[in-house]
Amino acid sequence: MRAVKTKAFGAPEARRRLAAHGPSPLVALLLCSGFGLLLCAWANALSREGGDPTQLLYWAGILLIAVPTGYRLSLRDVPLRERFAMVALFGLALYAVKVVRDPFLFTFADEPIHAYNAEQVARHHDLFHENPILPVTSGYPGLAAATSALMSLTGMSSFGAGVILIGLARLLLVLSLFVLFTRVSGSHRLAGLAVAIYAGSSNFLYWGVQYSYESLSLPILVAVLAAFAEREVAAPARVRSWAVPIVLGTLAIVITHHLTSYALVVILLALALAGRLSRKPRPNPWPFVIFAAAASLAWLLIAAGSTVGYLSPVLEEAFTSTLHTVSGEAAPRALFQSSSTAAVTETPWLARLVTLAAVGVIGLAFLLGFRRVWKRRRELPFALIFCVSGAAFFATLALRFAPKAWETGNRASEFLFIGLSFVAAYGALRFVRRGPRWRERKAALAAALGTVIVGGAIAGWPWDAQLAQPLRISAGGREIESEPVGLARWVGEYLPRRKFAAADADARMILAPGGARAKTGDALAIKTILPEEALGGWELPLLHDHHVGYIVADRRRAATDAVRGNFFLVPGSEEDPLLPIEAMHKFSEVPLGRTYDSGSIVVFDLGDRP
Amino acid sequence: VRGHRDLRRTCVAAIACALVAILAPWELVRLIAALPLAVFLPGYAIVSAAFAPYRLDPQRLLMLTLACGLSTLCVGGLLLDFLPGGGLRTGTWAVLLVLVTVGAARFAALRRSRPRKPKPRRRLRLRPVDALGVVLAAALAIGALALASTPLPAENAVGYTALWLLPEQEATDSIEVGVTSAEQGPQEYRLRVRAGEEGNVESYRLALDPGEERVFRVPVEVEASGPTRVAASLYREDDPGALYRRVTTWLQPGEGR
Repeated sequence: MRAVKTKAFGAPEARRRLAAHGPSPLVALLLCSGFGLLLCAWANALSREGGDPTQLLYWAGILLIAVPTGYRLSLRDVPLRERFAMVALFGLALYAVKVVRDPFLFTFADEPIHAYNAEQVARHHDLFHENPILPVTSGYPGLAAATSALMSLTGMSSFGAGVILIGLARLLLVLSLFVLFTRVSGSHRLAGLAVAIYAGSSNFLYWGVQYSYESLSLPILVAVLAAFAEREVAAPARVRSWAVPIVLGTLAIVITHHLTSYALVVILLALALAGRLSRKPRPNPWPFVIFAAAASLAWLLIAAGSTVGYLSPVLEEAFTSTLHTVSGEAAPRALFQSSSTAAVTETPWLARLVTLAAVGVIGLAFLLGFRRVWKRRRELPFALIFCVSGAAFFATLALRFAPKAWETGNRASEFLFIGLSFVAAYGALRFVRRGPRWRERKAALAAALGTVIVGGAIAGWPWDAQLAQPLRISAGGREIESEPVGLARWVGEYLPRRKFAAADADARMILAPGGARAKTGDALAIKTILPEEALGGWELPLLHDHHVGYIVADRRRAATDAVRGNFFLVPGSEEDPLLPIEAMHKFSEVPLGRTYDSGSIVVFDLGDRP
Repeated sequence: VRGHRDLRRTCVAAIACALVAILAPWELVRLIAALPLAVFLPGYAIVSAAFAPYRLDPQRLLMLTLACGLSTLCVGGLLLDFLPGGGLRTGTWAVLLVLVTVGAARFAALRRSRPRKPKPRRRLRLRPVDALGVVLAAALAIGALALASTPLPAENAVGYTALWLLPEQEATDSIEVGVTSAEQGPQEYRLRVRAGEEGNVESYRLALDPGEERVFRVPVEVEASGPTRVAASLYREDDPGALYRRVTTWLQPGEGR
């Protein structure tokens, strides 16, 4: 039996030959990632053709990118430089999945909002221009400033500059995680695997690489933490050197994103407190805690006063909703359910199973790793914080059952997953230590890694929005764009800088690429006004008082969905895709001038009356 | 920075990249110059200044270069914002980034005190099979990006035609009416424009390919007694009885609108 096994695995000779004549492991992984990306692009192309392709091709692509690299990262005897290169490849290849999904325009909900900010900076050459949809973003101009630099220096649009900038940020994120984990664990093998596990965070694949302020600030935060970890063990003569990236990074975070700056203060405070528990002398961390707190507070008071009004209702609602759900006053939220008003394809049971399995796998790995980290590394403030944040991640999973708290839990996960992935990597490496059934356990690790990454991606983004939808298509040998994009182009050409009221998706397109101002959602009761079948008399004066010049009536139900509402209408994809015609005609009956009519979308001029 | 080869090259590269980014007319060339100028060169110079006279390993050096480079862009924007008359322009960005790079490089050179011995270079040995693999992987990635950015036919997608009407900016006695086709195939239309309830009807026939637009300047007579309603109606030639699109406006007496 033993002899047969040895022969079956073959293997030493064959392996020697492969090593001598085949490509090096890194090049083989490059090829795997290339093939994986091509599969993802193919799946997206089929989806853009308006069909209903199986997502298997897409998930196969993701697995081909993530699993071989993740698996090799878990192996011993991989040189540090190769591991570092693999981590960079891993981060960039998974980022490219988002790029091949959206190669024409920004279509995620927050992206046009930030693109508008960047366009305003590039047009007016200064910061702090009002954003009509998300006013708080104008108080955090770090992303817009950085994008406008690339726009000015290259002549590119905000889309091109944004794609490059977020790509660099993603590269920074994975490299910083690697350096941080290597420093805390003392093992670059564990660090590489922990980075791969971090890709199982629900926001890693899509949400975390959208063109948005947090996508830039989070990588800088991890870099600051890595610098902080390095400073803790640096020789006395080099301690001051590390202060430069910490201070510069802190300043950048403070002017780029509110939540990340507050998270930085909390983490640095926790590290300082945890450092006091440790007996080992460390460089004084308090100046950085005080600096980060003072800078965040000063920025809040001087430039970003609207942050309190923006964040407090969200957190308050999350808290209240959690209380109501726990006390039974409100029904718990069903998992895998979208809050969209558009008809949405349900997440298949198999995908749900994968997601739940991912949580189970990561939970097991955490439990297995926790004991080991606690036993070996609890003297280190970072290890202590990682253990606590890993445990906190599972607590935030409960928030997903509270209707108005799930998003808060989801947003917290990308911070908490840093600690979780570190502890889980300890568990994973313990699982694959040499011993009986070693090969089987290594195969199980690869399968578990695939499950965690795919499960995280399913949990983090709606099932029916994983693949691209038709946005720009070819017809008769020429290119045409979807109705909302067509409207945005027309606005950009004929009515730039005017003010519109529109449904969520249309408003975002009017902002970028349209370049005009648009209000949407709860602002000026637009969410109420647009779908109602008759006007009550208060609506137009309200809009007029707020200097809204045009109202965009869109019969597509998907128009209220900022994720799904930007694309061509494909019959059969929704049961009842249109609002009643009265929702549009009520404006004609006022009567208001109809300035633009593309079928589903009609623009009414509020100043054009008899 | 004399004697410090890496710092000298950083400074020269920053100045050269700034000149290319400002002067070159081609987007791709500017991008190739702007990316190092915006992120890598200032980041490297700042890290060199902070850590001189020590050397960092390549992993930490790359991480810190990126982190400091991106942070400089964020903070630099804020600094430029203080300049009068809108400071965030191509020239000011280029000057700021060159100043940061050269200044930090100079500081690094002072802290290093004596020129570094250049490290013996490792020769990059790429076996033919690896070189082939890299080329193939690059081809796959480029193929994926090319496939992603190629608009494909989507026969199920519902095409549309947009009709719009705006008063002409310079003339008060005419309006502009535009028809844009985003239909799946060539389409023939009839456009009718009527000014006032009793006014003449201007009629146009047009055929548009997908993605094509036609704009008509239509003269209108505005009634002196009150606002004149102008309506443009679009019909498809394959279904002439059914109104396809309609836009309207009211023109006030004595002015375009």
